[in-house]
Amino acid sequence: MSESDALDDTGRREFLVKVTSVVGGTGVAAACIPFIASMNPSSDVLSKATTEVDLGGIPEGGMRTIAWQGKPVFILHRTQEQINAMNVSNGGMQPQPDKQRVQKPEWLVVVGVCTHMGCVPNKEGPGWTCHCHGSQYDDSGRVVRGPAPKNLEVPPYRFLGGDKIVIGEA
Amino acid sequence: MKNKIVKWIDHRFPLTSFVKHELTGYPTPRNLSYWWNFGFLAGFVLVLQVATGIFLAMHYKADIALSFDSIQHIMRDVNYGWLLRFMHSTGASAFFLVIYIHMARTLYYGSYRAPRELMWWTGQGLLLMLMATAFMGYLLPWGQMSFWGATVITNLFRATPYFGDQIVVWLRGDYTVGDATLTRFFALHYLFPFLIIGGVVVHLVALHTVRSSNPSGIDLADKDNIPFHPYFTSKDFYGLGIFLIVYCIFVFFFPNLLIEPANNIPANPMQTPTHIVPEWYFLPFYAVLRAVPNLVGGVVAMGLSVMVFAFMPYLDRSRIPGGARYRPWYRAMFFLFAVDMLVLGYVGYVPPSDQTIVVGQAATFFYFALFALLPFASKKEEQWLIRRGLPPEVEALMASEVKEISKFPHRRRSGDKP
Amino acid sequence: MKNFMVLLTLFCFAAPVWGAETKLENIRVDTGTPAIKRGADTLMDICHGCHTLKYIRYSDLASLGIDKKKIDDWRGNQPLDAPLTGQMSDDAAMQTFGKLPPDLSLMAKAREGGANYVYSYLIGYYNTAEGVTGNHIFPETKMPDVLGISGAVDATQRTEIQGKANEVVSFLYWAADPHEEERHRLGYSVIAYLIVLTALLYFVKVRIWSRLK
Repeated sequence: MSESDALDDTGRREFLVKVTSVVGGTGVAAACIPFIASMNPSSDVLSKATTEVDLGGIPEGGMRTIAWQGKPVFILHRTQEQINAMNVSNGGMQPQPDKQRVQKPEWLVVVGVCTHMGCVPNKEGPGWTCHCHGSQYDDSGRVVRGPAPKNLEVPPYRFLGGDKIVIGEA
Repeated sequence: MKNKIVKWIDHRFPLTSFVKHELTGYPTPRNLSYWWNFGFLAGFVLVLQVATGIFLAMHYKADIALSFDSIQHIMRDVNYGWLLRFMHSTGASAFFLVIYIHMARTLYYGSYRAPRELMWWTGQGLLLMLMATAFMGYLLPWGQMSFWGATVITNLFRATPYFGDQIVVWLRGDYTVGDATLTRFFALHYLFPFLIIGGVVVHLVALHTVRSSNPSGIDLADKDNIPFHPYFTSKDFYGLGIFLIVYCIFVFFFPNLLIEPANNIPANPMQTPTHIVPEWYFLPFYAVLRAVPNLVGGVVAMGLSVMVFAFMPYLDRSRIPGGARYRPWYRAMFFLFAVDMLVLGYVGYVPPSDQTIVVGQAATFFYFALFALLPFASKKEEQWLIRRGLPPEVEALMASEVKEISKFPHRRRSGDKP
Repeated sequence: MKNFMVLLTLFCFAAPVWGAETKLENIRVDTGTPAIKRGADTLMDICHGCHTLKYIRYSDLASLGIDKKKIDDWRGNQPLDAPLTGQMSDDAAMQTFGKLPPDLSLMAKAREGGANYVYSYLIGYYNTAEGVTGNHIFPETKMPDVLGISGAVDATQRTEIQGKANEVVSFLYWAADPHEEERHRLGYSVIAYLIVLTALLYFVKVRIWSRLK
């Protein structure tokens, strides 16, 4: 066997080993997918990712708290005075026009979790007060007094025609 | 860059020398056949079971009101939960299949003989831990077979003299197999595989002390050894590929073959299924248990049927090298033993009838008879073989072994008294 | 050695057959979605009155492609992710039958013979001399002949009822293992990949070992 043949042989062998390693490595990586995917929320948890709410029972000026993904969501049926009051300014610590926070001005949908440390604020007069550290929010869910840094989160939601919304889907 | 890091570590930890000495450069007999792949396969299945087990445990609930439902949750709702579950249930059967073949290889080629007795005994210990792990794991789905199988087997501990009844209650944590039993079996089922990993380390340390045997059964000269890498790494990976094909055929296409239909029914303490049967890998020992009409006798016989293997290094008294290759009588006994195990397995599976009871008892007697006969048969066979004359290759090998012994006096010849 | 392996394989296949008592009808389960949907119709019509399917949700039926309006009718004011509970209460069932009708989610796997058993059972009813119905497969059953096979007057009617039974079994087979199709699909890919990989590993092994004199 000549020198070059011997080198070719080694070259081919190394190529074979390389190809096998790549194919094998791909298989190992692919085999990891089911394990990691199994840690994602299971289908029964995902079905709770959206919640349908019937808005019919909430009177003007009234508020309902519903559970969505295990968290409270405030649904406030605002009167015209409340809407006007919210349009006067852009809020306090994190300015944002009220129009950007609602789809229909009479329905405010916000996640009822204080952006400071996660307590659930209480509805008190105009807006909400969080009794853990004294944060205050207005009738648009905007933070007007700290220590909370941000406005109450507006979850993705859409109207299902008539008096229904589904929270969790834009 | 990599070399710098490795050098840094080598100053502080024997990384390179360990890998060279025990893994890549480790001398292995060049004539090892594919029957020597099964130790590596067993290690692989162990890793598979631990991995699938841990991820299953993220979703399983060990409470009698929740466990059956949690398995259905895994099968239906958890992403790839069905895959994890079937991998784990098939993996248990794969584990025993691989281990039984591994043991058969050891028995056939006489790899249990001096100086490898400790390998055989650590292996025996590992087998016992594996059986316990499988038994406890089987209760966890809380199906009809799970419950009644656990009830029958925990009942056997009544055979213990004086404290029998109390031991059963202590084991179960309750008067019957219940929530307490399920919870503790889950805790221990999670623990035991890590004890098994420890046992495997001990088993491998023993291996690296005495080195692998080989199909001829005769200690080979050092020149007949080749480095483990790349020869046996490549061979092991190829064997792994074949194994994975068979394993995946079961996992993806026949996973329910290994699950008793009755285990798809939630456990009902008020109603026993018509036909209680353990998983296939316990069937021969279950048949031995039922063959003896007395409770204590049955339990003792079953225990003995598992433990009797430990005596092999002393039962086999032949000084002919290795195992069955050059020993026709031993080979015949080996195959008769294999057939006997199959007969016992069948008897363990079918509902007892007059015929199967007799067959089971005969097979049990034959099982122990083979072991009892071995000391005499092996000696007689040795004399017969020497009279008849051994094949020239064997005599040459035996002679070269003598030469090697004189060079390395600490190395024993297989069959020599300790 | 080879003979031994052949015997061993044959033995494994023979063993389960020896255990069977009454002969079961061997059917080929129709795993196609249309058959499963028709089976769902029959099941919700006839079986759901007494039997629960606690591991199947209305949303699972929706994922089969069953008409949303039909599902809304079936579930009433229960949410979409509610399980299929039976319509008969446990007390009423105990009073009428003396035992609770078993849950059907896993029935296609929970009996020796699987789908064949369930099918044979459904069409195994016959009229006894006393005028009541008996069942060839499960004589102690308290369940009435809901598909009406014992009262079939001619071959056409009989075939129709057998067709219905087949569809119900198709649905129950799906209900016992909704991921079977996915499992098979993934299985073909995995086995194909492994065959390629094993072939490569074989050639690597042979290459490496050829170095030895």
